[in-house]
Amino acid sequence: MILTGLTFAQLATIFACAGLGVAALYLLKLRRRTVPVPFSVLWDRILRDREATTLFSKLKRILSLVLQLALLGLLVLALGNPRLGERILAGRTLVVLVDASASMQATDVRPSRFSVAKDEVRRMVRGLGGGDRMLLARMSADVLALGPLTGDTATLEREVDSLEVTDAAADFPRALRFANDVLRGASGGEIVVVSDGALGPAVDASGAVHVAPARLTFVPVGHSGRNIGITQFSVRRDPLHTSRYEVMLELSNTGPGPEEVELQLLGDGSLVDLTRLRLAPGERLPRFYPLLSGASRTLEAKIALADGTHDELAVDDHAYALLPERQRSRVLVVTEGNTYLEAALLLGEYLDVTDVAPAGYARAMVEGRWDAVIFDRVVPAVPPKASALYLDPAGPGAPVSVSKELWAPSFDKIDRTHPVVRYTALEDVNISVGRKLVPESDDRVVGASEGGASPILVAGTRGGFKFVALGFDVRKSDLPLRPAWPLFVLDCLDWFANEDARYLSAYRTGEVWRVPVGGAPKQALLKLPDGGSERIAVHDGHAVLLGERTGFYSLTTPEAAGSAEAEATTSFAANLVDARESAIAPRDTLVVEGRPAGPLVGFRLGAQRDVWVSLLLVAALLTAIEWATYHRRITV
Amino acid sequence: MSFSFSWRRRKHAAPVEGDPFDDEFQRKLESLALVSRRVFAGRIRADRRTKKSGSGVEFADYRDYQPGDDFRSVDWNVYQRLERLLVRLHAEEEDLAIYFVLDASASMAFGAGLKAAYAKRVVAALAYVALANLDRASIVTISDHVTKRLPETRGRARIFKAFRFLREVEFVGKTDLGDAMKTFVAQNKRRGLAVIVSDLYDPNGFARGINILRYHKFDPFVVHVIDPAEAAPKLHGDVLVRDCETGDEREVTVTAAVLEQLSRAHAQYGDQIERFCATHQVSYVAANVERPIEELILRVFRKGGFLR
Repeated sequence: MILTGLTFAQLATIFACAGLGVAALYLLKLRRRTVPVPFSVLWDRILRDREATTLFSKLKRILSLVLQLALLGLLVLALGNPRLGERILAGRTLVVLVDASASMQATDVRPSRFSVAKDEVRRMVRGLGGGDRMLLARMSADVLALGPLTGDTATLEREVDSLEVTDAAADFPRALRFANDVLRGASGGEIVVVSDGALGPAVDASGAVHVAPARLTFVPVGHSGRNIGITQFSVRRDPLHTSRYEVMLELSNTGPGPEEVELQLLGDGSLVDLTRLRLAPGERLPRFYPLLSGASRTLEAKIALADGTHDELAVDDHAYALLPERQRSRVLVVTEGNTYLEAALLLGEYLDVTDVAPAGYARAMVEGRWDAVIFDRVVPAVPPKASALYLDPAGPGAPVSVSKELWAPSFDKIDRTHPVVRYTALEDVNISVGRKLVPESDDRVVGASEGGASPILVAGTRGGFKFVALGFDVRKSDLPLRPAWPLFVLDCLDWFANEDARYLSAYRTGEVWRVPVGGAPKQALLKLPDGGSERIAVHDGHAVLLGERTGFYSLTTPEAAGSAEAEATTSFAANLVDARESAIAPRDTLVVEGRPAGPLVGFRLGAQRDVWVSLLLVAALLTAIEWATYHRRITV
Repeated sequence: MSFSFSWRRRKHAAPVEGDPFDDEFQRKLESLALVSRRVFAGRIRADRRTKKSGSGVEFADYRDYQPGDDFRSVDWNVYQRLERLLVRLHAEEEDLAIYFVLDASASMAFGAGLKAAYAKRVVAALAYVALANLDRASIVTISDHVTKRLPETRGRARIFKAFRFLREVEFVGKTDLGDAMKTFVAQNKRRGLAVIVSDLYDPNGFARGINILRYHKFDPFVVHVIDPAEAAPKLHGDVLVRDCETGDEREVTVTAAVLEQLSRAHAQYGDQIERFCATHQVSYVAANVERPIEELILRVFRKGGFLR
């Protein structure tokens, strides 16, 4: 036995001093109170009967003193914090990675894999050796250390209690690298992975993760994997019918048997479609729903087993999406008259169009606020404080300069990645005459003639506002007669209004979300799907956060200083949609670097229990015995 | 660890204060007279009856026939009815010497002094009755010797002198009835009734003093003053008991069993005294201090045939 608290000499000194005190108190206890009696002869008669037990009485008194000294000895020994020597020498450094990914919510073991995993970790904590130190980390999309390396079981148990599962996939390579960093330089390092094993290979962008020299241990959780999940879900408005939308989703049966499911689509909370589908084991079934209507904002997909039972993972049975919000744009058209342009603008359901002659432009800019301005063969002297579409610009106020006239130019080269040409067919547009545009360095040439040498469609930003410049008069081409014309105009206006192809109907959990917010606040208030809220930092107009929960979120930005507008709220959705995470069949082994992880050994219940606790218990027992014997007049 | 000690609270625990005998109590006592179990020859005639033959004609009592008794005294009518030989005793009225021997040792004043106060009142009451019946009464206080003495006196008017004497009695010293009675019999040649009022807590034995009186032809009458609280003290735990007279000390761990033993020893000691008195034809009365003094005088003594 080794004393890890006070030394033996210190304990001996304390025991000697306290022992003297106990003896002195014991003698004081033996000093009797004098009581006068009228006739002591009567007491003599009693005492004669009890004389025979005098020796036994003295022994009993000594027993009382011995008990008290033993009590003192135990308490003093407890100050030394004694431990068994071999337990101290065999100390290990353990990093326990607890899988908190979505698959750990599976209920194939009751109440859930994650609860069972926590119980396993608790057993490990209670079985720690005297010299062991442990660090608990939650392994999800990121790695979260729950505390420092410690051997304090109470602290570790509190950390286990604080563990919470997420709706995201686990980043196993990242967790292993974290564990390696913790164990660097430590002897007897061991990484314990408590998981269902659905972690994927331990390889990331930097290559394979090396675990050695640390020992890798795997604690498997779970025993079956019946599950059907929504592994893809996306929704967008129809480009030509923005009141309608189209949905793409994918169902995956990751279980061992065929399953029949009912798929529900809910628009704004109301059922808009119900389909019964049958999936073979391992089948991934994509579904596309075009031209759906009946929802203006939210769309949800739910699946349920047709036989009324439940699969073992609920988090991938429900997917969420938000349709892009449709806002009415105020558009000022500065033109002498352009029927084709007016006709194209009539197709925009959410446009408020105002036509003015070039002479009334300045007044209109003063009197109204405009989201976009279209200049038809007109160039303003002062650029507008709004995004602008320039049709055949020429003059000093144009965002791009014009160099030369082009005879019969064509769209020889088109940047199809730019949203203003989305869904448009411009390659065979016939143009009689146009002008070569000279873009600035940051501008993007979207369309060019003469093999790409002469830009005729340029997009960019001036003074913080977007612009698109078309280098020919549409009336001198057959573009207005083509479907591409209204699409081009509306794409330009959508681009100005941010309704572009980058819109995400839902984010994926486990990724870093960059949610655009209006204005330039430093913080935004995020309301979580479970009703909770937290503050999120805003960088460059985007709230940045690591998403771990599925469902609908709302992000509220405070009112900007000096602005008359109230606070702005942005909503978005998040889904798991991860076929690998939906495959919840547990693994019995965990293979890293081609070698299976070892079983859990070296944890014995009660090994960590401090000896001093036992000493205190014995001392308490002795106190109880002394108390009982005293009050029963045995040791007095 | 703590000890507790207190004597039992009683209904009549308050000691006697002031004159214990008011007018009403004195009127009750006037109708009583002390009865002596023996008849002594008196120096002058009084209301007492003696056994002197022929000098008295009034029947006094019966007693068993003993060899040598005059056959003429045998009551043959009783023999015919009960088949027992009883001798008729005739008394002649004479005065009687009555000595009240009051134990004034420290044990009588133990605790709240209830025994001392009670004993004083008993002596005062009996002395009043004696003086009212023209007997000669004397009061003697003793411890291990005769400490104080009120000479023989007669007449009811002397009762106040007796009261004054009793008020001045102090209860100190050890009890030694033997030595005290030796002195007493030496100082009082005239035989008579010796009423011993004491707790009889004599470490040398209570019997020795009584026997000395018997040997010197006195008629001992024992009034055993008992305080029940002394049999059941409220003690607990380790104590050192010290005798209030001798200073002897004993280490005792008081438990419920020990208290029970003490109570039993106390009762046995009283039984031992009563048995001794019965064996030696000594009148005995147990005077419990928790019983009213009036009851003791008017009922217990009458019940026992000591007062009429």
